[in-house]
Amino acid sequence: MSNQLFVLNELALLQKHLAKHYELYQIVRDPQGEEAWQENVPVDTLPLYGEAHLPLASAKGFFFAQNEGLYKFDGETFTTIKPKLSPRALFGVQACDLTAIFYQDQFFKDDPYYQARREQSLLVGIDCSGPCEKGFCPIVNAGPQVATDHADLILSNFNQEQQDGLETTWLLIAASNKGVDSLQGLKLEKAPDNWRHLRSEFKEQVLAKFADFTYINTSIEYINDGLVPPELWEELSVRCLACSGCTNLCPTCSCYATSDQTDSESNSQTTVRFWDSCQFDGFQREASGHNPSHLAAQRTERFWFHKFSDDYLPEFGRYGCVGCGRCEQTCPGSIGVHTVMRKIEQQCCN
Amino acid sequence: MHESAAVSPQNKPAMSKTIVNSICPFCGVGCGIGLVTEKGQVTEVQALRNHPISQGQLCSKGWNTAFGINPRDRITHPLIKQEGQFVKVGWPQALAHIADKLTGYIRGYGADSVGVISSARATNEDNYAAQKFARAVLKTNNIDHCARICHSPSVAGLKQTLGSGAMTNSIDDVDKAEVILVIGADPTENHAIIGGRIMGAKLRGSKLIVIDPRVTRLAQVADLHLQLKLGSNIALLNGLVNIILQQGWQNTEFLSKRCEGLVELQAQVANYPLDEVAKVCGVKGEDLVAAAKLYSQANTAFLAYGMGITQFVSGTNNVIAVSNLALVCGQIGRQGTGINPLRGQNNVQGACDMGCLPNVYPDYQSAADERVRAKFAKAWHTLVAIEPGLTSLGMSNQARKGKFRSQIIFGEDPVVTDPDQNKVAQGIKALDMLVVVELSMTETAKMADVVLPAACFAEKEGTFTNCERRVQLVRQAIAPPFEAKVDWKILAELADFMGMGALMPWQNSEQIFVEMANLSPSFSGMSYALLEQQQGVQWPCNEAQPMGSPCLHGHTFPIGKARLIPVEQTPTAESPDRQYPFWLTTNRLHYHYGCGSMTRQSPLLERETPDGLLFIHPQDARDLGLVDHQAVGVRSRRGYLETRIIYSEQLAPGLLSMPYHFKEAPSNQLTNDAMDLLTEMPELKACAVNLQALDANRQPRSIGEIIEANQQILPLVAGTRTAL
Repeated sequence: MSNQLFVLNELALLQKHLAKHYELYQIVRDPQGEEAWQENVPVDTLPLYGEAHLPLASAKGFFFAQNEGLYKFDGETFTTIKPKLSPRALFGVQACDLTAIFYQDQFFKDDPYYQARREQSLLVGIDCSGPCEKGFCPIVNAGPQVATDHADLILSNFNQEQQDGLETTWLLIAASNKGVDSLQGLKLEKAPDNWRHLRSEFKEQVLAKFADFTYINTSIEYINDGLVPPELWEELSVRCLACSGCTNLCPTCSCYATSDQTDSESNSQTTVRFWDSCQFDGFQREASGHNPSHLAAQRTERFWFHKFSDDYLPEFGRYGCVGCGRCEQTCPGSIGVHTVMRKIEQQCCN
Repeated sequence: MHESAAVSPQNKPAMSKTIVNSICPFCGVGCGIGLVTEKGQVTEVQALRNHPISQGQLCSKGWNTAFGINPRDRITHPLIKQEGQFVKVGWPQALAHIADKLTGYIRGYGADSVGVISSARATNEDNYAAQKFARAVLKTNNIDHCARICHSPSVAGLKQTLGSGAMTNSIDDVDKAEVILVIGADPTENHAIIGGRIMGAKLRGSKLIVIDPRVTRLAQVADLHLQLKLGSNIALLNGLVNIILQQGWQNTEFLSKRCEGLVELQAQVANYPLDEVAKVCGVKGEDLVAAAKLYSQANTAFLAYGMGITQFVSGTNNVIAVSNLALVCGQIGRQGTGINPLRGQNNVQGACDMGCLPNVYPDYQSAADERVRAKFAKAWHTLVAIEPGLTSLGMSNQARKGKFRSQIIFGEDPVVTDPDQNKVAQGIKALDMLVVVELSMTETAKMADVVLPAACFAEKEGTFTNCERRVQLVRQAIAPPFEAKVDWKILAELADFMGMGALMPWQNSEQIFVEMANLSPSFSGMSYALLEQQQGVQWPCNEAQPMGSPCLHGHTFPIGKARLIPVEQTPTAESPDRQYPFWLTTNRLHYHYGCGSMTRQSPLLERETPDGLLFIHPQDARDLGLVDHQAVGVRSRRGYLETRIIYSEQLAPGLLSMPYHFKEAPSNQLTNDAMDLLTEMPELKACAVNLQALDANRQPRSIGEIIEANQQILPLVAGTRTAL
């Protein structure tokens, strides 16, 4: 479909309109200063968005739950536990996290639990206007602006150069049919044709603010050329505590395990699934005890291979890393993406 | 930029997800953890980027918290054992029963025939209530908790040398140290986020020295690893002090201004010459010199230690030897330095601070001091206990002698976690009434006469104190399930049933905190509002230090000048011989916590449990003809268990190691309860064992199966003996 462009003078206008038809989810700051996605946010709460407010937990859990029941067995029949939800709008998703949802849409395309949640969700993306603390989205083609096939509505701040801050102007793009439908009943002025071009110009300005991440590109090449020596993976893996933080926070990590939980009261059994981690020794261990990745070094290598290997391009059309840098923040062993890629570049260059 | 207002949970529809920021319930690091709740259950957790300690990180235990507190395995109602079976009863019936029995024992045998074991897993408020209940309601000083078997020697040792037994510095100081010295601690497994900080500091250029009989993860990345022989800590530490004094590497100014006892110490450590120390400890002399130089010559050196120092018969002296080293080098009282015991449990620091120890009231005010007793008696409007109290092991021993009737245990599983399991079980069986307040049916709870359902950390308000003395707010995320109640409420209601409800009249946890702070000089400046505002405050917090104290002993020590106290190398109570040729030590695994009652409910963490629990150097195994994963029987003078061996290069030949988390093969069948005389700390880190291969096709039996089989055999054996 061709995208429709509108002028929006106030975020609150769109927010209030959507709240009539959707449960509103936004990034909210709590009294301890933590920023996280919260649901059923009161309409008068202005959203946090953009590079200064990338939450530590991405929106992944809204579609691929950290822990959910799949089906129940009462001794005679199996009953699917379908997620019950009403339409909801995620307001203010950053480009990197939208790219990750796009990636997971493919991984979970036949997963009824994921799809049930996805179908009920309207994604409202907001362009970032600068680099975030640990981010490098341009390197992996995941930002800083929202790709038009990654969201239903896209907002871009056209007020960046103005100083008064009172009058705000936003470009609103209805990027999907769902997005167009969501705007029904909202009176909006069409945006001038050259705004599409202006947005591209803004993008160039924003890109210029990013630091030099050449080492990441270089290291991606080393990984794909098989040039990272096993000793380096071993050196890095000694620092992996197998906490599972990287895989939990990685917005594209999608591995899960299942387990049967018995409820003695009702004498039934529920099969649940929950986030798993390839960094656990038991992740690939087979029933015989054989483990294709029994060394921590193999598990570390495997993780980065899954994030940066060309082998996955045919299936997903992109790398498994969206450049959000969350692994760098959460890794107790200091082997997040920046440290690892820098180390690979240094070591392999020598 | 648009700033959103805070969204309070009350404004939200009941069905939606809410995030409540609290404190991780596992180790003493005290990480921030976001509890995501849905339909009254914690379904997910989130890491918290803004938390001063964890900064967006959690360990595998923290990430799996939701499994550990799920309502499926919880004790739902008060239970009273009748003819060997637990029967559900209401709270009034259970409490009336306990009150009636306790009153009877106190009348018949005196107040010292009963006692309380509080929980280092519970809040400061719960612990304050527990010691008040013992001292003011029961009128006994028989109050203790598991610090007995982790850091009681730290409290006792550092109290003598510095005047205060807690971590002197902050976790943040790891990043400010030029040299980090880790002795007898495995922080990447047990205090993962601190372990990670240490690895990070090392990457940025700090020097790392590890002193440990095992090749821990930190030892693998260290600049220097002194792999000493088990139990030779004092020889090694005295040897280091001797080198430093001989080379003139000591901090002379600090010694003259801030310490006393140098002459005596110098004379005594002269008996620890380099060559001899190297031989006794099994380390290279040049490594000892290198370590002594690095540590003493650094501008800032951060020293951390753990159970590898305290869990010995020489535990208190080991701590004193550590203290001597730091004092001689003046590595204390400044940022990036300090003597830093890494506390094991989420609130073991707090349980000590709150006076859940027989010899001290809150804030370490001596129970032997008449003025202290008078102060508390006046504040509480009642008479308080006078006689010295018993430690947990003391209570157990007295019970076996028939002199101790009843114990209330909060959230501990001594049958699995205390040394010499068979003796502990005998002590418990000898009680007339055991009351266990627990989340789930632990091995100890199964042996109880009354079991009460407790509320977990996510179901209560209160505070935990982490290892760096930071008092942090624990926020309630969900309501207690079924009939479960918070510890302090249980105690207050029990006091009421005993006719002394007026002593514990609190309506909420904050009122308890206020009462405690009013009676405790180190906490007098603290309030919930300040803790909220500051994301936790480190004690002492009072008029002199209104915002708390990240670094202790900057200008003076609580005892004025610090004391250097000469201590001699003491052999372990047991060492290998022909009958029991191997050393056995204990360790912990990153994935599991304590008795495993919470972490083993996570299918992910349970999957990480190794299929064998006895770690052995491959050379030892090959010498005995044992293949990896071979089933073996392990025997000490105290017990026997079966498990599989796991080859591990972490160990030196001659040394075996077992984690203690697993009830099917509990290391405490084997461990020695020989004690440090001052603190009654048992020697959990060293005993002698032998092992033999099981028949090729035999699976290792669980301890339950072994005991059952023995009960069938024993009468026969006894009969034979009688016949003979």
